[in-house]
Amino acid sequence: MSMLSARSLDAGHMKGNPVVRGIDLDVAAGEIVALLGPNGAGKTTLLETMAGLLPRLGGELSVDGTAVASADPRSAVRSGLVLVPDDRALFRKLSTEQNLKLAVRADAGRPLFGGRRRRSEAAARVAEIVDWFPSLGRRARVPAGQLSGGEQQMLAIGRALLQRPKVLLIDELSMGLAPVIVESILQVLRRVADADGTAIVLVEQHVRLALEVADRAVVLVHGDIALESGASELAADPARLERAYLGGSVAEGSDLARN
Amino acid sequence: MNDLAFLLLGVGNGAVYAALGLALVMTFKSSGVVNFATGAVALYAAYTYAYLRRGEFLNPIPGFDKTVDLGGKWDVLPAALLAVALSAVLGMLLYLVVFRPMRRAPALAKAVAAIGVMLVLQALLAMRVDETPPPVAAIFPRESFTVGETVVSTEGLWLGVVVVGLAALAALVLRYTRFGVATEAAAESERGALVTGLSPDRIALSNWALSSATAGVGGVLISPMVPLNPVAYTMFIVPALAAALVGNFSSISLTVLAGLAIGMLSSEAQKLQTTVDWFPDSGVAQAIPLLLILIFLLVRGQRLPGRGAVAKQDLGRSPRPTRLLVPTVVGVAVGVVALLVTSGSVRLAVIASLVFAVIALSQVVVTGYAGQVSLAQLTLAGASAYSLARFSEQLHIPFPFAPLLAALAAMVIGVVVGLPALRVRGLPLMVATLALAVFLEAFWFNNPSLNGGGAQAMVTPPSIFGLDLSIGAGEGYPQLAFGVLCLVVLTLCALGVAWLRRSRLGAAMLAVRANERSAAASGINVGAVKLTAFAIASFLAGLGGALMAYQTSNMATADLFRVFTAITLFAVFYIAGVTSVSGALLAGVMAPGALLSYWLDIGDYYVLASGVLLVVTVVFNPDGLVGQLHRIPLPAVLRARPAPIGDIPVAPSPEHAPTAVGGPVLAVEDLTVRYGAVTAVSGVDFGLLRGEIVGLIGPNGAGKTTLVDAISGFAPCTGRIRLGETDLATLAPHRRSRAGLGRTFQDIELYDELSVLENVTVGVDAGDDDPHRTVREVLALLQIGDLAESTAADLSQGQRQLVSVARMLAGRPTVALLDEPAAGLDSGESRWLGERLAAARGSGVSMLLIDHDMDLVLSVCDRVVVLDLGSVIATGTPEEIRTDPRVMAAYLGTEGPAAEEAAPEEAAPEEAAPEDSAPEDPAPEEPDHPAPDGPAGARPVRNDSDAPEVIA
Repeated sequence: MSMLSARSLDAGHMKGNPVVRGIDLDVAAGEIVALLGPNGAGKTTLLETMAGLLPRLGGELSVDGTAVASADPRSAVRSGLVLVPDDRALFRKLSTEQNLKLAVRADAGRPLFGGRRRRSEAAARVAEIVDWFPSLGRRARVPAGQLSGGEQQMLAIGRALLQRPKVLLIDELSMGLAPVIVESILQVLRRVADADGTAIVLVEQHVRLALEVADRAVVLVHGDIALESGASELAADPARLERAYLGGSVAEGSDLARN
Repeated sequence: MNDLAFLLLGVGNGAVYAALGLALVMTFKSSGVVNFATGAVALYAAYTYAYLRRGEFLNPIPGFDKTVDLGGKWDVLPAALLAVALSAVLGMLLYLVVFRPMRRAPALAKAVAAIGVMLVLQALLAMRVDETPPPVAAIFPRESFTVGETVVSTEGLWLGVVVVGLAALAALVLRYTRFGVATEAAAESERGALVTGLSPDRIALSNWALSSATAGVGGVLISPMVPLNPVAYTMFIVPALAAALVGNFSSISLTVLAGLAIGMLSSEAQKLQTTVDWFPDSGVAQAIPLLLILIFLLVRGQRLPGRGAVAKQDLGRSPRPTRLLVPTVVGVAVGVVALLVTSGSVRLAVIASLVFAVIALSQVVVTGYAGQVSLAQLTLAGASAYSLARFSEQLHIPFPFAPLLAALAAMVIGVVVGLPALRVRGLPLMVATLALAVFLEAFWFNNPSLNGGGAQAMVTPPSIFGLDLSIGAGEGYPQLAFGVLCLVVLTLCALGVAWLRRSRLGAAMLAVRANERSAAASGINVGAVKLTAFAIASFLAGLGGALMAYQTSNMATADLFRVFTAITLFAVFYIAGVTSVSGALLAGVMAPGALLSYWLDIGDYYVLASGVLLVVTVVFNPDGLVGQLHRIPLPAVLRARPAPIGDIPVAPSPEHAPTAVGGPVLAVEDLTVRYGAVTAVSGVDFGLLRGEIVGLIGPNGAGKTTLVDAISGFAPCTGRIRLGETDLATLAPHRRSRAGLGRTFQDIELYDELSVLENVTVGVDAGDDDPHRTVREVLALLQIGDLAESTAADLSQGQRQLVSVARMLAGRPTVALLDEPAAGLDSGESRWLGERLAAARGSGVSMLLIDHDMDLVLSVCDRVVVLDLGSVIATGTPEEIRTDPRVMAAYLGTEGPAAEEAAPEEAAPEEAAPEDSAPEDPAPEEPDHPAPDGPAGARPVRNDSDAPEVIA
């Protein structure tokens, strides 16, 4: 059974004018899906809608077989859908450690004034994240705004992982980052997916790197799924992608998708 | 020694300012509201406490008994606890009922709503409590000691200690508890809080409870020391706001220190004004917050920390008056008839309506047009009125000159208070005007040695050529001639304000109101326009004030110009509609003492109703009542014909083909933009030739918009930028625009309430001989002439893009920077836009085109520059770029040289982390991997609207 299941999902900023139309998307536990497509295709809109930051204009969404009823960020997080937004949305003046600790929560009803036992539990959870991203441990007391771009992205992902996501949605992981850093972060994500069975949807412009770690690729063009393919098949035939991206011709892509 | 004693005496008041300042900071941090009602909350707590101590429960809700007998006096502690707890409940109610629904509203609208809440609370309590303040027994030990010759009570010092302790506690909570950290986090990034599963809503609710409790503590503790009084307690907010501004609405320690300092300095000032001869007799204490605010804003000029919410339109639409003749004739006729058929007190009410309408017009200019909220228009009128008394009675300046000079005096004061507008916008200015109102009332209007005092405060009745224009006395009071004088002044002012709305200055004001950034990019000197608005508005208010002086004849009491009347009047103006002349006329009728209150005598409920309606207006009906009237269809005769757009035949540009590329016009050398540790653009060199279109492409976060921001003056940078012979690097944005550099914004910052024609007119260069022709040519060039009269808010996305391009081209720029003009267009529209751009270049303009639509860029551009990670990685013809492997690599990450080049000296890839700096290093330099636009959480702080590079 799929961990994430979207059925005829419509998404967009305004009613009556969906940017993304009728998306069906399934992601299995431990699977990484690269969501590709040219700018303006609606990738971010789709992700933010699933995370409840944008209103859902139509369709169904379920996580691990349970429907995500209301479209607001907290019920998305409670259902296990966690987004790493493209602007990373860190708390820049707070330290790395504070950013992480804020994300530790066993359940939504936890009071904001935490006791001692919770504090040590939080420290243990933060330590798990530092195991994934050791450099965050060395920068624990540095304000997030002063981290390097790569560390900021690691922090954003770490913060998301602390919420024990069943489905992790990551938007534009590579934005502004050198490829070698992107590659190392993607390797960690691969290990996370394999170890915890987390389903990961990766919106990524750095196609080659994305396809290296992904199991499957979905290409979105003008709000429709133009192409679905195994990641390695697509990596072997980049011309298919280039046509969809630079030519902007949906027809060609669709042909390939249906074949 | 004596000075020290007086400073110590001020600690008690200072502590209250500090407590309220602390409450202001907490509320602002968690919900972005500058809560003007904080003083009113303290007032509620103080009265509740005082009544509980007496054995009564104060019920502020009208319609019930004012008090409930509790059968016995309460002790200090339970009474204080209950009063503080009720304050917390009040704070939560305010958040849930008023400010939670306004979560997404702009900060200014929230502050105006807070003004409404302040009026409501103050009016409710004023109606429900005894005239004589209940005596309150001391809470702290009232021992005294002497410093020099002065006896100082320990009471105030105790209060100071308690408030400082409270502030320290608040600071500790914010820093060390999960709740505090979550508050800071949500203040910084609401998006971040949402994806972390925090609830900004709950955090805000808790903070409202805590901040209102803090205000309540301040109110309860000061009640034994300062006699209870609804106005005085509510006005504790002014020094508290000054303190919070010093702390920039974020630092608790600075706010508390500033609050204490204001209290102590005020006490010292009060001592000086009794002991030092040359010191003014009163109002020096009130000058301290005002001076602090003005100096602080001018020197530091810091904006309040934004809260990242998407700001929508603060104010209602300001429709363009299309026809003046018919409304003027009808209006004057109605006015004349109203004056003729009435007499006595009804005629007085008519006259009051006319006079208040003049003052309302001043609010239209400063708030409705220029978007600056002033709470002091009535105060400025008062300044003029008292000046008139001086000019006419003591200097014997004759009639038309004395009131004009008086209005000029008001104008000078208005400009001084408006000076911070050069540096800041919005909220701090609103605070400054409130401080001015408090100061002038105490310093001037209430001061016998300045206001003329008793018999000296007479105003010489107006007369011209022997014609008596005075309001008269006894038989025939009020005289018709005075009414006609008021009607004439109102008519002239109304026509002037309507004309202003149609003028280029008016359009510039609306442009500033809509978006200061894009106004500057259109060549508008934003600071100058705001100051001009303040000047015009203050002059109008001054004229109104002069009429008020003639109406009362004797200015011995300041009752006409009290702070609360000024605030109530602001509410009435806002309710009627602050964006149009017709709104001002309606406001005149609705003003206190004018026709409406004559017919509908609701007495004490007037202020209460104003407050409630103000909140309702801000939340539901920003256009005001008049906005509703405008929606009623008029008979055809009264409706304006759409002005014809003129059919100047525009010669199609001779060169449609991409030819005529001339010499270099724009040269950018070694341009670098750094935001803290992150280099967003590094060492970029490129140039533009005359008539050339160059594409600027690159993946998200490559630094494209940052580069355009740097060239146009919206981002700090190093390097050289030359436009022809002009060095742009040191010029302000509007000067770069005037030098011939045009730009569009990717979030299309059109002025929604202006028509297409006006939007484009705003872009016309001031030196243009024939602006109308220019506008029509540009509209024709882009083939949008048929949209000229449409309001920008009604356009489709594609049309908005074209209007935005047209506005920029109307400035006849030599170089145009286009930031994603095809965003939101479908491929057909985008191709069409490409054709229009190609046509526009025929006039010799060079363009730098950022867009993600490859078809558009590759088809229309002569050359393409590719940016990745802040550096230029390729330059060439579209054909070269299409096949350049580095470009494909940057976009798709497919194998190519760029993938290797981009990270030459990267840390060893076996470790996940880039270990480029020691862990302790607080601000690592990162020469090796610049992360353009990438330091997430938020992108590098550009100006206010900081949209992501692209919404995928």
